[in-house]
Amino acid sequence: MHIYGAVSPSPPRVILSLFCCPCQISNQLQFPCKLDTDFRRGIRKLKGSHVTAAFWESIKSGLLKNPTQVIEAPSTVEEEEEPLPEEFVLIEKTHPDGSIEQIIFSSVGDVDVNDLEALCDKVGWPRRPLSKIAAALKNSYMVAALHSVRKSPGEEMMNILVYLESSLAEENDQKKLIGMARATSDHAFNATIWDVLVDPDYQGQGLGKALVEKLIRALLQRDIGNITLFADSQVVEFYRNLGFEPDPEGIKGMFWYPKY
Amino acid sequence: MAVASGIHAAYLPSKFQPPPKTTTSKTTHNKTFRPRRPPPPSLFISTNPTHVNPHHLRDLYTLSNHSCHRFPALAADGRPDPVDLDKLRIALSHSCIVVSVFSKPEVVSYYSSSSSENAMGFGGDWLRRVVPVTAENGMLVGFGRAVSDGGLTAAIYDVVVIPSLRGMGIGKMIVKRIISVLTSRGIYDIAALCSHEERSFFEACGFGEDSLGATTMMYTRTVSSCEANHMVKHVGRKLLVAPLVREPFKP
Repeated sequence: MHIYGAVSPSPPRVILSLFCCPCQISNQLQFPCKLDTDFRRGIRKLKGSHVTAAFWESIKSGLLKNPTQVIEAPSTVEEEEEPLPEEFVLIEKTHPDGSIEQIIFSSVGDVDVNDLEALCDKVGWPRRPLSKIAAALKNSYMVAALHSVRKSPGEEMMNILVYLESSLAEENDQKKLIGMARATSDHAFNATIWDVLVDPDYQGQGLGKALVEKLIRALLQRDIGNITLFADSQVVEFYRNLGFEPDPEGIKGMFWYPKY
Repeated sequence: MAVASGIHAAYLPSKFQPPPKTTTSKTTHNKTFRPRRPPPPSLFISTNPTHVNPHHLRDLYTLSNHSCHRFPALAADGRPDPVDLDKLRIALSHSCIVVSVFSKPEVVSYYSSSSSENAMGFGGDWLRRVVPVTAENGMLVGFGRAVSDGGLTAAIYDVVVIPSLRGMGIGKMIVKRIISVLTSRGIYDIAALCSHEERSFFEACGFGEDSLGATTMMYTRTVSSCEANHMVKHVGRKLLVAPLVREPFKP
């Protein structure tokens, strides 16, 4: 898929031609070196192959002086689109020691299985094989994650690229996974939300609510209306407040038990 | 305050405990009694997704009064709207397992017909009788699919058998096939959403209520008054309203 952007009128005229995967930049790119590598890393990081003009517009507006038109070449006709990956700062707070902590929401799917295993241990869930967790994350319809990024006092403010480039953030800051929720779906009618968890140190702030609401919005946007989940008794109220109803009209979930 | 929700993949082997006994008094008087009959002479069961013709599948759903929406909008005669073909294709392409069962058209008409004329056989066409049924020459009489994340969990949807061939174990065959494919891929956490009428069927297939006592919940939030800035979606007969976007974040 090609995305073309034309920047005018100040010389030199630059035609931007970016290929989404694999990570190659055409020789027409005449930007200085750093931008070149940043774009390449940006492209490599993106999981989905559907990147809209608006997304690149936001990168360009942070980097270029006069962004003008961005012409998106017509992509091949596809039956459906994957949910657009998003990443933004949900909360920012300053600690008494002057350090700044940002809680970043992301649905790009950059959840490290080891971080997830540590988080599951922290909330007291049984361990599951890492390879299975990795496969489950990869094949989920959407994985919403919350990371906390802590910057020590005196550091320069992060720019847009750093928000999107979690690898850059790792070099300079402490970044840790503090919450996750995922949904599986057939992309048309049914979806099930699994594995909603928030670090106990961060519970009670509405983070879990934000994760689940995001999933619901993304699913409803695609007209996926049968949204189900299986809640432990202590969290039934939590989900009721989010708009879920237990056993609606007598519909129940049953699970398979092999008979040895 | 607690936001961690339970997971179903309480990993092997503690998961495999016998399901809690469901109270029989609740279920017996509501059970639709269907006499058990032997399966028809020729059935072809396939897990090949290319064998599923979405048009035939839609016809099967319509014949069986089945809707892909959990809360279908019903017409005046009580039948749900026919399923949208494009959405059906998308759902099929994202189902990790599809199981379809075919039978010979004359077998289906034999069982559908109430007259006793057909009792003596299917006519003199010997060749047609001995040629085995395939996906190409057969009629779709049963279907089931499952959606999975390929590692931990799976959910079974849309298990349907044509009304005239029910009570013959075809549905059970479909569910057993889905389970065997899932377990061969190492997935043991298999869920099935079912209405009250379908419960006894899934119990017979080896399903039970959750051993961890989890509650099944579905999103049913609806609009009580019209608000312009809410995203509202028609899903079957439900009108679902999406949570508001909250940026900047206000806990």
